[in-house]
Amino acid sequence: MPDRSQSAAVNRRHFLAAVGGAAAGGATTLPGTGDAAAAPAAEAAKSSDPRVPHTVTLTINGQDHQLSLDARASLLDTLRDRLGLTGTKKGCDHGQCGACTVLVDGRRELSCLRLAVMAQGRQVTTIEGLAPDPHTLHPMQQAFIDHDAFQCGYCTPGQILSAVACVKEGHAGDDDQIREYMSGNICRCAAYPNIVAAIRQAKTEMGA
Amino acid sequence: MGAPVARIDGRLKVTGQARYPADTPLHNLAHGVMVTSTIARGRIRSLDTTAAASVPGVLLVLTRDQAQGQLTAPKFGTGGSTSIQPLNEERIWHDGQTVAIVVAETPEVAREAADLVAITYDHDTPSAGFDASGVEIVDGAGASPMYPEDPKAGDFDTAFKAAPVVLDATYNTAAQHHNPMELFSTTAEWNDGQLTVYEPSQFVAGWRAQLAKQLDMDAANIRVVSEYIGGAFGSKGPMTPRTAAVALAAKLVKRPVRCVCARAQGYTTATFRAETRQRIRMGAGRDGKIRAFSHEGWELTSRPDDYVVGGTETTARLYAYGAVHTKVQLVKADRNTPGYMRSPPETPYVFGLECAMDEMAEKLGLDPVEFRRVNDTQADPVSGKRYTSRSLMRCYDEAAAAFGWQRRLDAGVWKTGAMREGDWLVGLGCATAVYPTQVAPCAARVRLTADGKALLQTSAHEIGTGVRTVAAQTAAQALGLSVEDVTVEMGDSALPAGPVAGGSVSTASVCSAVLKACGAIRDKLYRAATVNSGPPATPESFTLRDGMAVLDSGRSAPLSALLQKLGTTQLEEYAEFAPEGSAPGAVEQLRQGNPGIMGGAKGPVLMYAFGAEFVEVRVHARTGEIRVPRMVGAFAAGRIMNPRTARSQLMGGMIWGLGAALHEMTEIDPRHARTVNRDLQDYLLPVNADVEGVEVILVPETDTEVNPAGVKGLGELGNVGTSSAIASAIYHATGRRLRDIPMRLDTLLQLQQT
Ligand code: FES
Ligand code: FES
Repeated sequence: MPDRSQSAAVNRRHFLAAVGGAAAGGATTLPGTGDAAAAPAAEAAKSSDPRVPHTVTLTINGQDHQLSLDARASLLDTLRDRLGLTGTKKGCDHGQCGACTVLVDGRRELSCLRLAVMAQGRQVTTIEGLAPDPHTLHPMQQAFIDHDAFQCGYCTPGQILSAVACVKEGHAGDDDQIREYMSGNICRCAAYPNIVAAIRQAKTEMGA
Repeated sequence: MGAPVARIDGRLKVTGQARYPADTPLHNLAHGVMVTSTIARGRIRSLDTTAAASVPGVLLVLTRDQAQGQLTAPKFGTGGSTSIQPLNEERIWHDGQTVAIVVAETPEVAREAADLVAITYDHDTPSAGFDASGVEIVDGAGASPMYPEDPKAGDFDTAFKAAPVVLDATYNTAAQHHNPMELFSTTAEWNDGQLTVYEPSQFVAGWRAQLAKQLDMDAANIRVVSEYIGGAFGSKGPMTPRTAAVALAAKLVKRPVRCVCARAQGYTTATFRAETRQRIRMGAGRDGKIRAFSHEGWELTSRPDDYVVGGTETTARLYAYGAVHTKVQLVKADRNTPGYMRSPPETPYVFGLECAMDEMAEKLGLDPVEFRRVNDTQADPVSGKRYTSRSLMRCYDEAAAAFGWQRRLDAGVWKTGAMREGDWLVGLGCATAVYPTQVAPCAARVRLTADGKALLQTSAHEIGTGVRTVAAQTAAQALGLSVEDVTVEMGDSALPAGPVAGGSVSTASVCSAVLKACGAIRDKLYRAATVNSGPPATPESFTLRDGMAVLDSGRSAPLSALLQKLGTTQLEEYAEFAPEGSAPGAVEQLRQGNPGIMGGAKGPVLMYAFGAEFVEVRVHARTGEIRVPRMVGAFAAGRIMNPRTARSQLMGGMIWGLGAALHEMTEIDPRHARTVNRDLQDYLLPVNADVEGVEVILVPETDTEVNPAGVKGLGELGNVGTSSAIASAIYHATGRRLRDIPMRLDTLLQLQQT
C-alpha cells in the first residue's frame, strides 16, 4: 500500500517530465475551470528536469511577484513559503479539506491542487487581500466575528473565501443551499451552524 | 454569568494574521519530510539512502544511523505519546512508524528524495485488533497510575441474580482520529546552543521539560512556542517523537528545519482514540430502581505502552445503582499507541452505559427521562462521596421542554416507527452528558500600567476554546478595565507555566491564577488609595471600575494617581495557583512536565458537570440514510465565563458526537494491521451539510467548591452522550437496536433485510 502523498509527488514529477504541459495542467486543474494556464505550464515543461527553476510572475492580491520556482511547487506552498502569505492554510494537501481555498479570477479554488506555474496570468486573492485595506474588514470577515463562526480559526481563511464565492455564485439562497455549497470546507471545531448564520448576514451586506 | 464578549483574537483569525506554528517566518529555513514504514510488525532489513541523498538540494537523510545515541526515548506516561523513539529502533512496532526524515532546501526536493529512500523489511504477522490472534490481554487496573483500580461496590452477582428485570448487552466503539484541521508539524531552530521549537502543542511547559530529557540538555536552553493552535482535541497533548527528532535534524544541518507531516502520517505518528468493546449487565426492580450494574471494558493499546482510558471511573458513579462491578482490560496489538481524544474515557464508556439505560427503560416500560430521574443521585454509589453540585435532572427538564419530548410520550413512549413521515422514519432520543470537573496548577503574570492597560501572561494554550478571551475578561473585570485594554500572551514556554490544555482544565485553572494575580494588584492599589486619605475604607467596598479606583465614601482616584502614589508607573504581580489538595510545589512540578490535574472522582468530594442531549433523527425507509435535523443540549457547568464561546464549545462538541455516532471510524486492515482510510476523503468527518439545527441551553448553576473561579470545564462535555442519544432515536425510528458506532446506512440496510 503506497503512501498516498508520496505517490502523488512522483506522479506530478513524471507527468511534467514525460508529457506536455497541457496534459499536466489538465491533470491538476479542477473540473470546469478552463485552462488558460496551459501555455506557461507548457513553456515550463520544455525543460525535462522539473528541478530546474522556472521564472514565473504571479499576481497575488493585485501585486505582481516574480519568482524562480520548482515546477512542482504548489500555489499553496508558494504563497506560504515563498511569499510569506501564511493566512492560506494547509489541512491536507490533497484537495480534501478546503483550508487552502483562494480566489483565482474570483472563483474559489484549492491552492494545494494548483501548481504555482499554472497561476500565471490569473488574479489570485488570498485572505490577506480580501478586504479593501488593512483597516477594514470584508463583510464576510465581520460576519464571522459577529457569529463566532470559528474556534481554532485554522479553517477560517478558507471558509471565508469559499463563503464569499458561494454568495457570488448565487449559492447562498437558503440555509440548505449554503450548507451544501460550503461542504467542501471542513471545520473540525464544527462551527457549521455559526458559519451558515455568518454567510446569511454577509450575503445581505454584500448586496447579493 | 460573564458577558458574551466576541473573541479578542477574532480579527487576527479572520484576516489570516493569527500565527500558527508552521506560519513562523524563519531565515534560511530547510524543509523536512518524514518517511514512514509500510509494515506494521517486523524489522528493518536494509535502509538505502544513496539515491535520496544524491538529489540536488538534499541536506540530510536522518535515519537510525545518524540518530544513534542522540535521542532518549521517554518513559510512557510522563508526557511522551509513546515510549518508542522510532529513530532508535530497528524494530517496527506499528504501521507508519517513522524510519527517516529527509531534509532539503525546498519541500519539493524533500518529497522527491523521501520517495527514494529504499527500505526492505523482515515481516512478522501483526495482530491488528481485538479479534486477531497473538494479542496480549492485561488488566487495566494498576497498568497506569491514572487507573489504580476497578471501582466496585456491594455484591453484584447476588444483586444481579435477584433482580426481576435484567439486561446483558455488548457495545463496540470504533477507533477514531482527532484530525485537527492543522497538520502536525515541528519547526526547530538553534541559536548558540539555545533551541526554539515552534509546534502546535497543548502543553508547552511540559514539552520543554520533555525535550530536555529526550535531547539530554538543560531545559533553560529550550523554548517551545505555540501561540495559536489549529485544533487539537488531545492530539497535541503528549509530545510525539518527531519533535526531538526534528530538533536533532536542525542541529545536524545547522539550519532551522520545518517538518510538516502529511495528513496520512498523522494517523500513525501521533495518537488516536482506540476502539473499545464493552459488556454491560444491569438488573432493576419493577419500581425502576437499578439494583446491580456491571460495566466491563476492553480497550486496545500498543505492544510497548499500557494506555488506559478506564471510563468506568465515571460510569460506576453516574446513577444510584446499588451493587457495582467494573473491570477494564487492555488488549495489546501491533498498533501505534493510542492517546487522549476529546473526553477520552467518557465518550466510549458513556455511550455503552447510556445505550443500556435506554434499553433498560424500555424493558421497564418507563419514559427514559423518568428512568434517569428514578436513579438520579447526589452521592457516589461506590464511595458514598457527595457531588459538589449535580444538575442533571434540571438539564433533562429544560432540554426536554425546548425539544418537545412530549411528542414522543404522546405517540406512546416505546412505540417504534410510529412517527413516520412519508419515506422518512422519525425518531426522538435522549441521553446524559457527563464530564469530570478538573483543575490544574497554573502560574500567571499580570502587569497594570498607568495608561490603564494590562498585560496578562501565561503559557496556557488557546486551542480554540476561547480561553484567551475568557482570561482577558477575567483580568478586565478584576482590574476595572475594558476587555480591549487587556493584552494576553499565551502559548510560549518562556511565559509563566500554564496547564496542559486537556481534561477541560484551562478556563478554571487560568482564571483562578489570573484572579490571584489581579487580587494582589488590587491589594496594592487599595493600600495606596487609603494611605493618608482620611478614614480607611474597607477592602470590600474598594472597587476598580472604568479605569478608576472607587472608595466606599464615593471618593475615587484614577489608577495613574495611585501608581504615582506608589512611586511607580506599573504594578506587576506573578501568582501561582494550585488546586486544593495539591502536593507542595505543584507549579514547579508543572514546569517539570507533571500536569497535576485534580478533581473528578479523585478528591474527597465528586466534581462533575452534567448535561442532557435530545436528538431527532430521520432514517430513510428505503436507503437507510440517517439524518439528524435537530439536536438540543442543556448543560450545567458552574459559572459560565463567556456564554458565546461556551455555546460554541458545546455545539462543536455535540457535532463531534454526531460524527462519532454516524461517520467516524479508522479502518484497520485485519491482515496487515495498516490504516486504510488515512485521509480526509475516506475518514468521514461531519461537514456543513450533515448538520442542521443545534441548540445549546446553558442551565444556571453555582458551585463555589470546585475552584476559586467556580468554573466547571465544558470543552469535553458536549460530545459525551450524543452518540447514545442518536442510537436511542434510531431505535425509536426503526425498532432496530444498534449497539456499535459508527451507525451507518449499510448497518440499517442489513438490518432491514433480516
Ligand atoms: S489543503 Fe488544499 S484542500 Fe486541504
Ligand atoms: S475553526 Fe477550527 S477547524 Fe474550523
